[in-house]
Amino acid sequence: MTYVKNRLRRTMMFVPGNNPAMIKDAGIYGADSIMLDLEDAVSITEKDAARMLVYNAIKTVDFGGAEIVVRINGQDTPFYDEDVKAMVKAGVDVIRLPKTESAAMIQKLVKDMEKAEEEYGVKKDSIGVMAAIESAKGVLNAPEIATSTPLMMGLAVSGEDYTADMHTHRYPDGRELEFARNMVLQAARAADVYAFDTVFSNMNDTDGFYRETKYIYELGYDGKSLVNPRQIPMVNKVFNPSKDEIENAKAVENAIREAKAKGSGVISMNGKMVDKPVVAKATRVLETAKASNLIDEEGNYIGE
Amino acid sequence: MDKVVDLYLNDSSTRRKWKHFLEKLGLNNFSSREIDVIDHTLGLVDDAGNLVGTGSIAGNVLKYIGVCNEGAQPGARFNKIVTALQQYIFNQRIFHSFVFTKTKYSKSFQHLGFNELAHTEQAAFLESGTPDVNAFLDTIPKVKGQKNKKVAAIVMNANPFTLGHRHLIELASQENDLVYVFVVATNASLFNTDERMKLVQAGTADLKNVFVVSGGDYMVSRATFPAYFLKSPDDLVATQTQIDANVFKNIIAPRLFINSRYIGTEPFSRTTSFYNQSLIQVLEPSIKVVLVPRFEVNGQVITATKVRQLIKDDNLLAIQKLVPSTTMDFIKNNKEILQDRIKKGMNIDGN
Amino acid sequence: MEIKTTGVAGTLESSDIQIMISKGTDGIQIDLDSEVAKAYGDQIKKVITDTLKKYGLDNVKVKATDKGALDCVIEARTLAAAQRATETSDKPELGVL
Repeated sequence: MTYVKNRLRRTMMFVPGNNPAMIKDAGIYGADSIMLDLEDAVSITEKDAARMLVYNAIKTVDFGGAEIVVRINGQDTPFYDEDVKAMVKAGVDVIRLPKTESAAMIQKLVKDMEKAEEEYGVKKDSIGVMAAIESAKGVLNAPEIATSTPLMMGLAVSGEDYTADMHTHRYPDGRELEFARNMVLQAARAADVYAFDTVFSNMNDTDGFYRETKYIYELGYDGKSLVNPRQIPMVNKVFNPSKDEIENAKAVENAIREAKAKGSGVISMNGKMVDKPVVAKATRVLETAKASNLIDEEGNYIGE
Repeated sequence: MDKVVDLYLNDSSTRRKWKHFLEKLGLNNFSSREIDVIDHTLGLVDDAGNLVGTGSIAGNVLKYIGVCNEGAQPGARFNKIVTALQQYIFNQRIFHSFVFTKTKYSKSFQHLGFNELAHTEQAAFLESGTPDVNAFLDTIPKVKGQKNKKVAAIVMNANPFTLGHRHLIELASQENDLVYVFVVATNASLFNTDERMKLVQAGTADLKNVFVVSGGDYMVSRATFPAYFLKSPDDLVATQTQIDANVFKNIIAPRLFINSRYIGTEPFSRTTSFYNQSLIQVLEPSIKVVLVPRFEVNGQVITATKVRQLIKDDNLLAIQKLVPSTTMDFIKNNKEILQDRIKKGMNIDGN
Repeated sequence: MEIKTTGVAGTLESSDIQIMISKGTDGIQIDLDSEVAKAYGDQIKKVITDTLKKYGLDNVKVKATDKGALDCVIEARTLAAAQRATETSDKPELGVL
């Protein structure tokens, strides 16, 4: 159990929960988060076997420091209850609830997790939750979902199911996701939780993938869901801070250091106050830069 | 990633795509004999929506398995489609399956846990799962010291059990310590498997050294032997015969210490006489083949075919001298049912 | 605990293992098919046996087709097959793993 609310989550790689080959290798690709899927990637007759495989994998496989998320089956399925119990017992980092449409659904999940935590002697609040928004209702209720529990890690847009609910489908230009993407992001920001964009499944359209990733990065998304490890370096590239951003972030850090050394309560830089959002951004930038090897341990710029 | 999808062959455009795909892989026998028995078909579709693999299941027999390996790791698609087919039959609670395929694919199936039972130049016969051939052989009754006894085997369809069959068994019973009568298990006959077994048992109850057993899935009837992968449907008889003979010689006979096989000579059916010749070729010299002239009554050879024809003609009187009383009683008591089956299209000309 | 039917779990894809469990009468009998049978056959059988014993089955026939599975996969597939065979899949016994 290594759940921390704040960490880099640029890439969330989907791994089918009934596939031992993909599970055992999931940690070598450098994804920030790995999502083991018990839901759509597993056929109905294999739900029980997948659950055991994922449970055992979480306990024994080395995932290289990535965060482990599990997408359990929906609350309206016969698999939900045992999924929650198993994943709590396994000590996963985050449980992702599909088809989230209300705060009540998340609150029920948290209650069920608490029960399991008690039963298995797992430390309370050591597992986070995530909501997948897959319908119009979910989108409109995103604000209440985002604030439904202190254990909320983030919201994710699920493009396939959402567009089906909207009586349309995915198009290359993404217009059909405009409202959902913005609403989910707003709700996430207002609640100070993470926002994840949906998967892009056409492996052959690299340009399209970059286009979409750049777009959601521009909107302010924290990360993207992926189905292929080849997409990981592509996303990281888009999410890399520029040299200027890095320099600026380093300056903020220096300003904080200096203010602390002087014992000053107010931190200012270039004549302006350095308040919480500025600090948060600087921290994010430097964290990302370090992960992408753009700066070394001392913070010196070494990127191209 | 390739996806597994259900293919519904009764949709003409799906069927066309499916046939076209298999034709490119060298399979071109889509006769109704081969297709009508298919219960379900699965396909493998790539990201662009192209059909890159397929496999069908007929009862517990896998057939029409074909994959295109372009753009994929060798073996990966074959593995995926066979795995998917197996998952499908496991969900139907079928845990024992067979495959008849071109010999060149035998290794691929063996790589997936199939066990080869026999092969010829053109064809291979494999099984997977449980209960397997060893379990089958375990269920066959044996006697103490069988290793050192004279053990004979007869394989018959007995559709129905006639005096001709009785004659053959009687002879073997007299000349050997132990006789196994294997009744071919297939329901493509006028008398179904259960009925035929019972009639053979009833007709030999007095012979104490005769064990009547079902051939199970291991004596493949010509009626059900898949021919979809053969170069020509004419190769069916030769292939089926050789496969059958090889399974018998290499797997069944050794386990049961069988040293001879008794067969009735065939004056009428070219197919059967050809079958007998092939049998001799494969079995000898390890297993002695004893050819017994067909039993005659009043100069007339007794055949089960004749009996079936007489049932159709409703001439039960003429049947009386061709079959033992146990068979006669059954026919008398079930005349309507049998004639009904014939009316409904049951073929009585075959075996 | 009684075996009510044949239970199968796992696939023949690389890194997986297919475990087929049926009623047995003579202890835990394992028929293993694996490319690394020489080097790892005993280890694989031990993992299967330990899992079955922990679950509480003493008389079973196991047919295992291994495609290079890690121990954690062998355990998970064995338990899944065993619970399918005893028709108790809706109450996963995770304590066994």
